[in-house]
Amino acid sequence: MKDHTIRRLLAVFLVIAAIFLSVAIAAVRNIDRSAASSDWVNHTHAVIDEAGALFAAIQAGDAALRTFLVTGDARDQAAIRDAAAQVDEHLEVAKALTRQEPESHQQFILLETLARQRAEFNNQIIAARAANDSAAMRTLLATDAGGGAIREFQRKTEQLKSTAMARLAEQDTANFLQAQKTRWTVWSGVALNVLLLAGAIWLIRDDINARRQLAASLQEANQLLEARVKERTAELVAANAQLSTENLERQWANQALEHQVRYNQLIIDSINDLVLVLTKTQKISRVNAAVIHLTGLPTTELINQPLKRIVRLAVPADSANSPLNDPLELALAEGRDLRDLPATLEDKRGKQTRVRLTLFPLRDGTKVVGGIVTLQLIQA
Amino acid sequence: MSKHILIIDDEQPIRDLLSEYLIACGYRVTGTGTALEALDIVQETPPDLIISDLQLEDSDGLEMIAQLKEKLPLVPVILLTGVLFDPEVARDVLNKNVACYLEKTSPLTRILENVRRLLEP
Repeated sequence: MKDHTIRRLLAVFLVIAAIFLSVAIAAVRNIDRSAASSDWVNHTHAVIDEAGALFAAIQAGDAALRTFLVTGDARDQAAIRDAAAQVDEHLEVAKALTRQEPESHQQFILLETLARQRAEFNNQIIAARAANDSAAMRTLLATDAGGGAIREFQRKTEQLKSTAMARLAEQDTANFLQAQKTRWTVWSGVALNVLLLAGAIWLIRDDINARRQLAASLQEANQLLEARVKERTAELVAANAQLSTENLERQWANQALEHQVRYNQLIIDSINDLVLVLTKTQKISRVNAAVIHLTGLPTTELINQPLKRIVRLAVPADSANSPLNDPLELALAEGRDLRDLPATLEDKRGKQTRVRLTLFPLRDGTKVVGGIVTLQLIQA
Repeated sequence: MSKHILIIDDEQPIRDLLSEYLIACGYRVTGTGTALEALDIVQETPPDLIISDLQLEDSDGLEMIAQLKEKLPLVPVILLTGVLFDPEVARDVLNKNVACYLEKTSPLTRILENVRRLLEP
Protein backbone atom coordinates (compact mmCIF):
# COMPACT_ATOMS: atom_id res chain seq x y z
CA MET A 1 0.00 0.00 0.00
CA LYS A 2 1.30 3.43 -0.89
CA ASP A 3 2.64 5.61 1.92
CA HIS A 4 0.32 8.55 1.33
CA THR A 5 -2.71 6.22 1.45
CA ILE A 6 -1.56 4.80 4.78
CA ARG A 7 -1.11 8.33 6.12
CA ARG A 8 -4.58 9.32 4.91
CA LEU A 9 -6.17 6.20 6.40
CA LEU A 10 -4.36 6.76 9.68
CA ALA A 11 -5.61 10.35 9.79
CA VAL A 12 -9.17 9.21 9.02
CA PHE A 13 -9.11 6.58 11.76
CA LEU A 14 -7.61 9.07 14.21
CA VAL A 15 -10.47 11.48 13.45
CA ILE A 16 -12.98 8.62 13.85
CA ALA A 17 -11.44 7.70 17.19
CA ALA A 18 -11.49 11.36 18.32
CA ILE A 19 -15.15 11.73 17.34
CA PHE A 20 -16.01 8.46 19.07
CA LEU A 21 -14.19 9.60 22.22
CA SER A 22 -15.89 13.01 22.15
CA VAL A 23 -19.31 11.42 21.74
CA ALA A 24 -18.58 8.99 24.56
CA ILE A 25 -17.43 11.77 26.88
CA ALA A 26 -20.48 13.86 26.03
CA ALA A 27 -22.78 10.88 26.60
CA VAL A 28 -21.19 10.03 29.96
CA ARG A 29 -21.42 13.65 31.05
CA ASN A 30 -25.08 13.78 30.05
CA ILE A 31 -25.77 10.54 31.92
CA ASP A 32 -24.13 12.09 35.02
CA ARG A 33 -26.21 15.22 34.54
CA SER A 34 -29.37 13.12 34.18
CA ALA A 35 -28.54 11.24 37.37
CA ALA A 36 -27.92 14.52 39.22
CA SER A 37 -31.13 15.96 37.78
CA SER A 38 -33.05 12.91 38.93
CA ASP A 39 -31.67 13.36 42.47
CA TRP A 40 -32.65 17.02 42.39
CA VAL A 41 -36.18 16.16 41.18
CA ASN A 42 -36.60 13.59 43.97
CA HIS A 43 -35.31 16.09 46.47
CA THR A 44 -37.67 18.80 45.23
CA HIS A 45 -40.59 16.42 45.36
CA ALA A 46 -39.62 15.59 48.96
CA VAL A 47 -39.59 19.32 49.80
CA ILE A 48 -43.01 19.74 48.19
CA ASP A 49 -44.31 16.71 50.11
CA GLU A 50 -42.92 18.13 53.34
CA ALA A 51 -44.62 21.49 52.66
CA GLY A 52 -47.89 19.69 51.94
CA ALA A 53 -47.55 17.56 55.10
CA LEU A 54 -46.68 20.65 57.13
CA PHE A 55 -49.84 22.43 56.01
CA ALA A 56 -51.88 19.25 56.65
CA ALA A 57 -50.47 19.10 60.22
CA ILE A 58 -51.36 22.79 60.75
CA GLN A 59 -54.89 22.07 59.52
CA ALA A 60 -55.13 18.98 61.72
CA GLY A 61 -54.00 21.02 64.76
CA ASP A 62 -56.59 23.70 63.91
CA ALA A 63 -59.38 21.11 63.62
CA ALA A 64 -58.38 19.47 66.94
CA LEU A 65 -58.34 22.93 68.58
CA ARG A 66 -61.87 23.68 67.47
CA THR A 67 -63.07 20.27 68.66
CA PHE A 68 -61.33 20.79 71.98
CA LEU A 69 -63.02 24.17 72.40
CA VAL A 70 -66.37 22.44 72.02
CA THR A 71 -65.66 19.28 74.05
CA GLY A 72 -62.85 20.32 76.40
CA ASP A 73 -61.83 16.71 76.22
CA ALA A 74 -58.26 15.87 77.14
CA ARG A 75 -57.96 13.57 74.11
CA ASP A 76 -58.67 16.46 71.80
CA GLN A 77 -56.03 18.47 73.66
CA ALA A 78 -53.62 15.57 73.07
CA ALA A 79 -54.53 15.63 69.40
CA ILE A 80 -53.56 19.31 69.31
CA ARG A 81 -50.18 18.46 70.82
CA ASP A 82 -49.67 15.63 68.37
CA ALA A 83 -50.41 17.96 65.47
CA ALA A 84 -47.96 20.50 66.88
CA ALA A 85 -45.32 17.82 67.20
CA GLN A 86 -45.89 16.82 63.57
CA VAL A 87 -45.58 20.44 62.50
CA ASP A 88 -42.26 20.70 64.31
CA GLU A 89 -41.04 17.46 62.78
CA HIS A 90 -42.00 18.47 59.22
CA LEU A 91 -40.40 21.85 59.70
CA GLU A 92 -37.16 20.25 60.85
CA VAL A 93 -37.14 17.84 57.90
CA ALA A 94 -37.99 20.62 55.44
CA LYS A 95 -35.27 22.92 56.79
CA ALA A 96 -32.78 20.07 56.61
CA LEU A 97 -33.79 19.34 53.02
CA THR A 98 -33.46 23.00 51.99
CA ARG A 99 -30.24 23.72 53.84
CA GLN A 100 -28.40 24.14 50.51
CA GLU A 101 -31.26 26.23 49.01
CA PRO A 102 -31.33 29.61 50.70
CA GLU A 103 -34.55 30.81 49.10
CA SER A 104 -36.59 27.72 49.99
CA HIS A 105 -34.95 27.56 53.38
CA GLN A 106 -35.97 31.16 54.06
CA GLN A 107 -39.54 30.34 53.11
CA PHE A 108 -39.61 27.45 55.57
CA ILE A 109 -38.17 29.80 58.27
CA LEU A 110 -41.11 32.09 57.54
CA LEU A 111 -43.51 29.14 57.76
CA GLU A 112 -41.86 28.17 61.02
CA THR A 113 -42.53 31.68 62.38
CA LEU A 114 -46.15 31.39 61.34
CA ALA A 115 -46.33 27.90 62.89
CA ARG A 116 -44.86 29.26 66.19
CA GLN A 117 -47.40 32.04 66.20
CA ARG A 118 -50.17 29.52 65.59
CA ALA A 119 -48.85 27.27 68.35
CA GLU A 120 -48.81 30.26 70.75
CA PHE A 121 -52.36 31.08 69.75
CA ASN A 122 -53.40 27.49 70.39
CA ASN A 123 -51.74 27.48 73.82
CA GLN A 124 -53.56 30.67 74.76
CA ILE A 125 -56.89 29.22 73.62
CA ILE A 126 -56.24 25.98 75.49
CA ALA A 127 -55.37 27.92 78.65
CA ALA A 128 -58.54 30.03 78.37
CA ARG A 129 -60.60 26.90 77.86
CA ALA A 130 -59.02 25.20 80.79
CA ALA A 131 -59.83 28.27 82.93
CA ASN A 132 -63.38 28.45 81.47
CA ASP A 133 -62.62 32.03 80.59
CA SER A 134 -65.19 32.51 77.87
CA ALA A 135 -64.44 36.19 77.38
CA ALA A 136 -60.77 35.51 76.78
CA MET A 137 -61.67 32.69 74.41
CA ARG A 138 -64.01 34.93 72.43
CA THR A 139 -61.38 37.63 72.26
CA LEU A 140 -58.75 35.23 71.03
CA LEU A 141 -61.11 33.65 68.50
CA ALA A 142 -62.09 37.10 67.29
CA THR A 143 -58.46 37.75 66.37
CA ASP A 144 -58.59 34.62 64.24
CA ALA A 145 -61.95 35.34 62.68
CA GLY A 146 -62.22 33.88 59.16
CA GLY A 147 -59.10 31.66 59.64
CA GLY A 148 -56.78 34.37 58.34
CA ALA A 149 -53.65 32.83 59.90
CA ILE A 150 -54.38 29.44 58.37
CA ARG A 151 -55.04 30.99 54.96
CA GLU A 152 -51.76 32.92 55.24
CA PHE A 153 -49.95 29.68 56.03
CA GLN A 154 -51.72 28.01 53.14
CA ARG A 155 -50.81 30.86 50.79
CA LYS A 156 -47.15 30.70 51.82
CA THR A 157 -47.13 26.93 51.48
CA GLU A 158 -48.73 27.07 48.03
CA GLN A 159 -46.25 29.74 47.00
CA LEU A 160 -43.37 27.53 48.07
CA LYS A 161 -44.87 24.53 46.28
CA SER A 162 -45.57 26.51 43.10
CA THR A 163 -42.01 27.84 43.12
CA ALA A 164 -40.73 24.28 43.46
CA MET A 165 -43.07 23.05 40.73
CA ALA A 166 -41.90 25.86 38.44
CA ARG A 167 -38.30 24.77 39.06
CA LEU A 168 -39.29 21.19 38.33
CA ALA A 169 -40.84 22.30 35.04
CA GLU A 170 -37.68 24.25 34.16
CA GLN A 171 -35.60 21.23 35.06
CA ASP A 172 -37.82 19.03 32.98
CA THR A 173 -37.37 21.35 29.99
CA ALA A 174 -33.64 21.43 30.59
CA ASN A 175 -33.59 17.63 30.81
CA PHE A 176 -35.51 17.37 27.54
CA LEU A 177 -33.15 19.76 25.82
CA GLN A 178 -30.18 17.90 27.24
CA ALA A 179 -31.57 14.60 25.97
CA GLN A 180 -32.11 16.17 22.54
CA LYS A 181 -28.59 17.51 22.57
CA THR A 182 -27.28 14.11 23.55
CA ARG A 183 -29.21 12.42 20.76
CA TRP A 184 -27.98 15.01 18.26
CA THR A 185 -24.41 14.60 19.44
CA VAL A 186 -24.54 10.82 19.29
CA TRP A 187 -26.24 10.64 15.90
CA SER A 188 -24.01 13.37 14.47
CA GLY A 189 -20.96 11.48 15.70
CA VAL A 190 -22.29 8.22 14.25
CA ALA A 191 -23.11 9.88 10.92
CA LEU A 192 -19.72 11.56 10.77
CA ASN A 193 -17.96 8.30 11.59
CA VAL A 194 -19.98 6.47 8.95
CA LEU A 195 -18.98 9.12 6.42
CA LEU A 196 -15.36 8.86 7.46
CA LEU A 197 -15.50 5.06 7.28
CA ALA A 198 -17.01 5.36 3.81
CA GLY A 199 -14.14 7.68 2.91
CA ALA A 200 -11.64 5.18 4.31
CA ILE A 201 -13.26 2.38 2.30
CA TRP A 202 -13.10 4.56 -0.81
CA LEU A 203 -9.42 5.25 -0.16
CA ILE A 204 -8.69 1.55 0.32
CA ARG A 205 -10.65 0.65 -2.81
CA ASP A 206 -8.86 3.38 -4.75
CA ASP A 207 -5.53 2.09 -3.53
CA ILE A 208 -6.45 -1.51 -4.37
CA ASN A 209 -7.46 -0.41 -7.88
CA ALA A 210 -4.21 1.50 -8.24
CA ARG A 211 -2.28 -1.56 -7.08
CA ARG A 212 -4.18 -3.77 -9.50
CA GLN A 213 -3.42 -1.38 -12.35
CA LEU A 214 0.21 -1.26 -11.27
CA ALA A 215 0.35 -5.06 -11.09
CA ALA A 216 -1.26 -5.31 -14.53
CA SER A 217 1.22 -2.76 -15.90
CA LEU A 218 4.10 -4.66 -14.33
CA GLN A 219 2.84 -7.92 -15.74
CA GLU A 220 2.47 -6.35 -19.16
CA ALA A 221 5.97 -4.87 -18.91
CA ASN A 222 7.34 -8.23 -17.79
CA GLN A 223 5.64 -10.00 -20.68
CA LEU A 224 6.99 -7.39 -23.08
CA LEU A 225 10.45 -7.75 -21.60
CA GLU A 226 10.21 -11.51 -21.71
CA ALA A 227 9.12 -11.36 -25.35
CA ARG A 228 12.01 -9.03 -26.13
CA VAL A 229 14.44 -11.31 -24.31
CA LYS A 230 13.08 -14.31 -26.23
CA GLU A 231 13.29 -12.37 -29.48
CA ARG A 232 16.81 -11.20 -28.68
CA THR A 233 17.82 -14.70 -27.59
CA ALA A 234 16.42 -16.11 -30.82
CA GLU A 235 18.35 -13.47 -32.76
CA LEU A 236 21.53 -14.31 -30.85
CA VAL A 237 20.99 -18.05 -31.38
CA ALA A 238 20.41 -17.43 -35.08
CA ALA A 239 23.46 -15.14 -35.26
CA ASN A 240 25.52 -17.72 -33.41
CA ALA A 241 24.32 -20.46 -35.75
CA GLN A 242 25.12 -18.21 -38.70
CA LEU A 243 28.60 -17.52 -37.30
CA SER A 244 29.17 -21.22 -36.68
CA THR A 245 28.08 -21.98 -40.23
CA GLU A 246 30.30 -19.25 -41.64
CA ASN A 247 33.19 -20.48 -39.53
CA LEU A 248 32.66 -24.02 -40.76
CA GLU A 249 32.41 -22.71 -44.31
CA ARG A 250 35.73 -20.85 -43.90
CA GLN A 251 37.40 -23.93 -42.44
CA TRP A 252 35.99 -25.99 -45.29
CA ALA A 253 37.27 -23.50 -47.87
CA ASN A 254 40.72 -23.49 -46.26
CA GLN A 255 40.70 -27.27 -46.16
CA ALA A 256 39.67 -27.44 -49.81
CA LEU A 257 42.35 -24.94 -50.77
CA GLU A 258 44.99 -26.84 -48.84
CA HIS A 259 43.80 -30.03 -50.47
CA GLN A 260 44.02 -28.47 -53.89
CA VAL A 261 47.48 -26.98 -53.31
CA ARG A 262 48.75 -30.23 -51.84
CA TYR A 263 47.54 -32.27 -54.82
CA ASN A 264 48.79 -29.70 -57.33
CA GLN A 265 52.20 -29.89 -55.73
CA LEU A 266 51.90 -33.65 -55.71
CA ILE A 267 51.27 -33.66 -59.44
CA ILE A 268 54.21 -31.34 -60.17
CA ASP A 269 56.49 -33.24 -57.86
CA SER A 270 55.57 -36.52 -59.53
CA ILE A 271 57.06 -35.33 -62.83
CA ASN A 272 60.67 -36.49 -63.39
CA ASP A 273 61.55 -33.50 -65.62
CA LEU A 274 62.63 -30.29 -63.95
CA VAL A 275 59.75 -27.85 -63.81
CA LEU A 276 60.27 -24.17 -63.01
CA VAL A 277 57.64 -21.48 -62.88
CA LEU A 278 58.96 -18.07 -64.00
CA THR A 279 57.74 -14.55 -63.62
CA LYS A 280 57.64 -12.33 -66.65
CA THR A 281 61.14 -11.07 -65.71
CA GLN A 282 62.40 -14.68 -65.68
CA LYS A 283 62.71 -14.95 -61.92
CA ILE A 284 61.97 -18.35 -60.44
CA SER A 285 58.72 -18.39 -58.49
CA ARG A 286 58.22 -22.11 -58.00
CA VAL A 287 60.12 -25.36 -58.63
CA ASN A 288 59.34 -29.06 -58.42
CA ALA A 289 61.19 -31.62 -56.38
CA ALA A 290 63.36 -32.65 -59.38
CA VAL A 291 64.95 -29.16 -59.54
CA ILE A 292 65.88 -29.28 -55.86
CA HIS A 293 67.23 -32.78 -56.27
CA LEU A 294 69.43 -32.06 -59.32
CA THR A 295 70.73 -28.62 -58.30
CA GLY A 296 71.22 -29.49 -54.62
CA LEU A 297 69.87 -26.04 -53.79
CA PRO A 298 67.07 -25.60 -51.28
CA THR A 299 63.89 -23.86 -52.34
CA THR A 300 64.83 -20.72 -50.38
CA GLU A 301 67.95 -20.27 -52.54
CA LEU A 302 66.05 -20.81 -55.78
CA ILE A 303 62.90 -18.77 -55.32
CA ASN A 304 63.07 -15.20 -56.60
CA GLN A 305 66.43 -15.86 -58.28
CA PRO A 306 66.90 -15.25 -62.02
CA LEU A 307 66.65 -18.39 -64.14
CA LYS A 308 70.09 -17.57 -65.53
CA ARG A 309 71.63 -18.41 -62.18
CA ILE A 310 71.13 -22.12 -62.81
CA VAL A 311 70.18 -22.38 -66.52
CA ARG A 312 72.05 -21.04 -69.51
CA LEU A 313 70.95 -21.38 -73.11
CA ALA A 314 73.52 -22.59 -75.61
CA VAL A 315 73.50 -19.54 -77.94
CA PRO A 316 75.99 -18.29 -80.55
CA ALA A 317 78.99 -16.46 -79.02
CA ASP A 318 78.37 -13.20 -80.83
CA SER A 319 74.85 -12.74 -79.46
CA ALA A 320 75.30 -14.10 -75.97
CA ASN A 321 75.46 -10.75 -74.28
CA SER A 322 72.77 -9.01 -76.24
CA PRO A 323 69.53 -8.75 -74.39
CA LEU A 324 67.72 -8.25 -77.68
CA ASN A 325 68.70 -11.75 -78.66
CA ASP A 326 67.43 -13.46 -75.45
CA PRO A 327 64.99 -16.08 -76.85
CA LEU A 328 63.25 -16.56 -73.50
CA GLU A 329 62.55 -12.84 -73.14
CA LEU A 330 61.32 -12.59 -76.73
CA ALA A 331 59.11 -15.67 -76.39
CA LEU A 332 57.54 -14.38 -73.18
CA ALA A 333 57.02 -10.95 -74.72
CA GLU A 334 55.41 -12.46 -77.81
CA GLY A 335 53.57 -15.24 -75.96
CA ARG A 336 55.28 -17.99 -77.94
CA ASP A 337 56.39 -21.49 -76.98
CA LEU A 338 60.07 -22.48 -77.14
CA ARG A 339 60.76 -26.14 -77.57
CA ASP A 340 63.81 -28.28 -77.00
CA LEU A 341 66.42 -25.50 -76.88
CA PRO A 342 69.86 -26.80 -75.83
CA ALA A 343 70.92 -25.47 -72.43
CA THR A 344 73.04 -26.26 -69.39
CA LEU A 345 72.01 -26.67 -65.77
CA GLU A 346 74.47 -25.71 -63.05
CA ASP A 347 74.25 -27.27 -59.61
CA LYS A 348 75.43 -25.72 -56.35
CA ARG A 349 78.96 -27.13 -56.80
CA GLY A 350 79.22 -25.60 -60.31
CA LYS A 351 78.79 -28.90 -62.14
CA GLN A 352 77.05 -28.40 -65.46
CA THR A 353 74.56 -30.84 -67.01
CA ARG A 354 73.24 -30.64 -70.53
CA VAL A 355 69.49 -30.28 -70.83
CA ARG A 356 66.77 -29.42 -73.35
CA LEU A 357 64.71 -26.40 -72.42
CA THR A 358 61.06 -25.95 -73.27
CA LEU A 359 59.14 -22.77 -72.41
CA PHE A 360 55.34 -22.37 -72.27
CA PRO A 361 53.98 -18.90 -71.70
CA LEU A 362 51.76 -18.79 -68.55
CA ARG A 363 48.53 -17.09 -69.49
CA ASP A 364 45.94 -15.58 -67.26
CA GLY A 365 43.17 -15.13 -69.76
CA THR A 366 44.74 -13.32 -72.68
CA LYS A 367 47.57 -11.86 -70.68
CA VAL A 368 50.99 -13.51 -70.35
CA VAL A 369 51.97 -13.33 -66.69
CA GLY A 370 55.00 -15.64 -66.73
CA GLY A 371 56.19 -18.94 -68.06
CA ILE A 372 56.65 -22.61 -67.32
CA VAL A 373 60.09 -23.99 -68.07
CA THR A 374 60.73 -27.69 -68.27
CA LEU A 375 64.27 -29.13 -68.51
CA GLN A 376 64.82 -32.58 -69.90
CA LEU A 377 68.15 -34.22 -69.24
CA ILE A 378 70.08 -35.15 -72.39
CA GLN A 379 71.28 -38.68 -71.99
CA ALA A 380 74.93 -39.06 -72.72
CA MET B 1 13.82 -39.24 -36.57
CA SER B 2 16.54 -37.35 -38.41
CA LYS B 3 17.98 -38.71 -41.64
CA HIS B 4 21.17 -40.73 -41.44
CA ILE B 5 24.12 -39.74 -43.63
CA LEU B 6 27.28 -41.82 -44.05
CA ILE B 7 30.47 -39.90 -44.91
CA ILE B 8 33.35 -41.91 -46.33
CA ASP B 9 36.63 -39.99 -46.73
CA ASP B 10 40.21 -40.83 -45.86
CA GLU B 11 40.95 -37.23 -44.84
CA GLN B 12 39.99 -36.83 -41.19
CA PRO B 13 39.68 -32.97 -41.27
CA ILE B 14 37.35 -33.15 -44.29
CA ARG B 15 35.24 -35.82 -42.58
CA ASP B 16 35.06 -33.91 -39.29
CA LEU B 17 34.13 -30.56 -40.85
CA LEU B 18 31.44 -32.04 -43.05
CA SER B 19 30.03 -34.08 -40.13
CA GLU B 20 29.88 -31.04 -37.87
CA TYR B 21 28.13 -29.00 -40.53
CA LEU B 22 25.53 -31.63 -41.37
CA ILE B 23 24.85 -32.37 -37.67
CA ALA B 24 24.29 -28.63 -37.15
CA CYS B 25 21.81 -28.79 -40.03
CA GLY B 26 19.84 -31.50 -38.24
CA TYR B 27 21.14 -34.72 -39.69
CA ARG B 28 22.50 -37.80 -37.99
CA VAL B 29 25.99 -38.43 -39.35
CA THR B 30 28.40 -41.35 -39.24
CA GLY B 31 31.91 -40.99 -40.64
CA THR B 32 34.58 -43.45 -41.66
CA GLY B 33 37.86 -43.43 -43.60
CA THR B 34 37.89 -47.02 -44.85
CA ALA B 35 35.76 -49.03 -47.23
CA LEU B 36 35.68 -52.00 -44.87
CA GLU B 37 34.19 -50.00 -42.02
CA ALA B 38 31.76 -48.33 -44.42
CA LEU B 39 30.40 -51.71 -45.47
CA ASP B 40 29.97 -52.69 -41.81
CA ILE B 41 28.11 -49.47 -41.02
CA VAL B 42 25.82 -49.94 -43.99
CA GLN B 43 25.04 -53.45 -42.71
CA GLU B 44 24.29 -52.32 -39.13
CA THR B 45 22.63 -48.94 -39.59
CA PRO B 46 21.67 -48.38 -43.20
CA PRO B 47 22.05 -44.69 -44.14
CA ASP B 48 19.58 -42.56 -46.08
CA LEU B 49 22.41 -40.95 -48.04
CA ILE B 50 26.11 -41.66 -48.68
CA ILE B 51 28.76 -39.02 -49.31
CA SER B 52 31.98 -40.61 -50.49
CA ASP B 53 35.43 -39.77 -51.80
CA LEU B 54 37.12 -41.91 -54.46
CA GLN B 55 40.47 -42.14 -52.73
CA LEU B 56 40.29 -44.35 -49.64
CA GLU B 57 42.91 -45.84 -47.37
CA ASP B 58 42.11 -49.46 -48.12
CA SER B 59 40.21 -49.56 -51.40
CA ASP B 60 39.30 -47.96 -54.65
CA GLY B 61 36.26 -45.78 -54.18
CA LEU B 62 34.63 -46.90 -57.41
CA GLU B 63 34.65 -50.51 -56.35
CA MET B 64 33.31 -49.64 -52.91
CA ILE B 65 30.46 -47.57 -54.31
CA ALA B 66 29.49 -50.46 -56.54
CA GLN B 67 29.38 -52.77 -53.50
CA LEU B 68 27.33 -50.25 -51.53
CA LYS B 69 24.83 -49.87 -54.35
CA GLU B 70 24.43 -53.63 -54.46
CA LYS B 71 23.41 -53.58 -50.80
CA LEU B 72 21.41 -50.36 -50.89
CA PRO B 73 20.33 -49.74 -54.47
CA LEU B 74 17.86 -46.98 -53.53
CA VAL B 75 20.20 -44.97 -51.32
CA PRO B 76 21.61 -41.97 -53.23
CA VAL B 77 25.38 -41.42 -53.32
CA ILE B 78 27.10 -38.06 -53.55
CA LEU B 79 30.63 -38.27 -54.90
CA LEU B 80 32.88 -35.69 -53.28
CA THR B 81 36.35 -35.73 -54.84
CA GLY B 82 39.47 -33.67 -55.01
CA VAL B 83 41.50 -32.25 -57.87
CA LEU B 84 42.84 -35.56 -59.10
CA PHE B 85 39.55 -36.56 -60.61
CA ASP B 86 38.20 -34.86 -63.67
CA PRO B 87 34.54 -34.00 -63.21
CA GLU B 88 33.68 -34.69 -66.83
CA VAL B 89 35.05 -38.19 -66.59
CA ALA B 90 33.27 -38.73 -63.28
CA ARG B 91 29.97 -37.61 -64.74
CA ASP B 92 30.22 -40.06 -67.62
CA VAL B 93 31.71 -43.03 -65.82
CA LEU B 94 29.75 -42.86 -62.55
CA ASN B 95 26.41 -41.73 -63.79
CA LYS B 96 24.63 -44.94 -63.06
CA ASN B 97 25.83 -45.32 -59.46
CA VAL B 98 26.21 -41.71 -58.32
CA ALA B 99 23.32 -39.32 -57.86
CA CYS B 100 25.48 -36.24 -57.68
CA TYR B 101 29.09 -35.24 -58.22
CA LEU B 102 30.71 -32.45 -56.22
CA GLU B 103 34.28 -31.19 -55.98
CA LYS B 104 35.82 -30.77 -52.58
CA THR B 105 36.25 -27.10 -53.36
CA SER B 106 32.48 -26.69 -53.48
CA PRO B 107 31.08 -24.56 -50.63
CA LEU B 108 29.26 -26.34 -47.82
CA THR B 109 25.99 -24.63 -48.73
CA ARG B 110 26.11 -26.24 -52.16
CA ILE B 111 26.77 -29.64 -50.61
CA LEU B 112 23.80 -29.05 -48.25
CA GLU B 113 21.56 -28.05 -51.14
CA ASN B 114 22.27 -31.35 -52.85
CA VAL B 115 21.85 -33.33 -49.64
CA ARG B 116 18.43 -31.73 -49.11
CA ARG B 117 17.48 -32.25 -52.71
CA LEU B 118 18.30 -35.95 -52.52
CA LEU B 119 16.82 -36.57 -49.06
CA GLU B 120 13.72 -34.41 -49.27
CA PRO B 121 12.53 -34.53 -52.86
